[in-house]
Amino acid sequence: MSTAHLIAVGSSPLGKTDLPGRDLFSRALAEAFEELPDPADVVDGLYVGAQSERYENQIMQGTLMAEWAGLRNVPAERVEACAAAGALALKNAVRDVRAGVHDAVLACGVEKMTAGGTEGATNALGAAFERALEQRSGITAPATYALLARRYLHETDATERDLGRIAVKNHRNAADNPRAMFQQAVDIDTVMDAPDVAPPLKLYDCAPVTDGAAAVVVANDEVAADLQSRPDAVRVAGVGSAANNLAVAERDLTFVEGANVAASTAYEDAGVGAADIDVAEVHDAFTVCEALLAEAAEFAPEGRGIETVEDPGDRSAGWTDVQINTSGGLKARGHPIGATGLLQAVEAYEQLTGRAGKRQVADADTALLINEGGVADAHTVAHVLTAQ
Amino acid sequence: MTEESNSPMTDTDSTTTGPLVPEDITADSPFTLPGFFDALSEGRLMAARCTECDTHLLPPRPACYGCGSRAVTLSEQPRTGEVISYTSVNRPPSAFDQLAPITVAVVELDSSARLTGRVAASLEDVAIGDRVELRVCDPEAVDIDPDFDLSYEEEWPIHVFELL
Repeated sequence: MSTAHLIAVGSSPLGKTDLPGRDLFSRALAEAFEELPDPADVVDGLYVGAQSERYENQIMQGTLMAEWAGLRNVPAERVEACAAAGALALKNAVRDVRAGVHDAVLACGVEKMTAGGTEGATNALGAAFERALEQRSGITAPATYALLARRYLHETDATERDLGRIAVKNHRNAADNPRAMFQQAVDIDTVMDAPDVAPPLKLYDCAPVTDGAAAVVVANDEVAADLQSRPDAVRVAGVGSAANNLAVAERDLTFVEGANVAASTAYEDAGVGAADIDVAEVHDAFTVCEALLAEAAEFAPEGRGIETVEDPGDRSAGWTDVQINTSGGLKARGHPIGATGLLQAVEAYEQLTGRAGKRQVADADTALLINEGGVADAHTVAHVLTAQ
Repeated sequence: MTEESNSPMTDTDSTTTGPLVPEDITADSPFTLPGFFDALSEGRLMAARCTECDTHLLPPRPACYGCGSRAVTLSEQPRTGEVISYTSVNRPPSAFDQLAPITVAVVELDSSARLTGRVAASLEDVAIGDRVELRVCDPEAVDIDPDFDLSYEEEWPIHVFELL
């Protein structure tokens, strides 16, 4: 089995932009290939994560993005698992490289979420939830996560203010991230005074509607060695994924079991444990997710995930020293659905290669990514990345 | 179909067990959505119950996600239960605008099966642990934009919980 390396990364501007999806992709691709030959001379195929064709009335994004990258008559496939689509693209690229099917593969993701306004995004995202009983009860993404949050606050000591502090922490991190959608800090009073979206979740508990794209190049040992321009490529050391329940009613509301399985599988694949992880990008689509995923990734004891906001020295016994969502997370970096899993990989790449600027975590050499789709861990993809 | 049915609901199991043969998977069977909603229209809320691990599956389906067994049996569900979690959908999908804000809850029925649904009460009147009862409504009696329905959903009833 070949080793899979992440040899280059790129992202588009994130936020409400004037660029359609394919052009957002072009921006991300242009950055990823700044120091590389033409894509057609490097990669043998691509996977593109895209949540919904409703935004731009366009399926066949595999073919479209391949054309825009100058790739012809190669495998090029769209993958979909709502917000886990980006990491699914990465997972498939890594699988192909490891198996020797391809020497190098482009994994990308794109979403033009603002095309239909807030209503368009709400309706497109609603398709991620169980149709027959839950969509027909009028639920939305914030509402399904509010059901998790309400129960988490009921079963633990955590408060709404504790959830708000996760948003404050992630905005503070994004202030130092030139890629982020919201590069400004917010204070806890602003967060607590913001309007309700789906109680107990308020505006700042929710990741924004975001346009954006990201692209990463996954290559085998030979290609990685040939392309000396990026000698500090990172290794994709572990991969795990799991599908859990689609209906919120049928899932455990306070333990994301599927995410635990995916993370554990990735740890095992990489030969590491939770305590080895220095930095983690986890899927904080809503603040409560970060607490739940800190527990599922076995960084935190049960019910103590909320301490993700504390400095490692101030956390409860049983917590690791991991730093979570140094990018600002989905909350403040932005959450262009199909691209999010790859934006997580971009942050890990920068942390592991010493490119993270003011966000740099000293001596970071092992990262965990957790990308989810549907309510909580309806689908989870986890990756462990390591410095060379 | 009546707005509210008072037919008794018990956790009486049928004798049907899997694996289902292909001929069993028809629109008459509660193991399919048309059959499930036909039963609901008549006031019977059906789940599948795994005979290996006792997990309830609502709506019924041919296999148990809890243990992987296909030895599942139909089980009529009680209509009462308690609120496990709840929230309010302040900005629902556009087809539900007339109902906003929508109080929704995850309810654990007295059988232990769980079901998400709207609650016919304002958010501040609901708390975890509240007792609720299922009511089954004719779709035309609920103010959801009919354009929301897929062709096969038009006759399917809409459920809601009422506080006891």
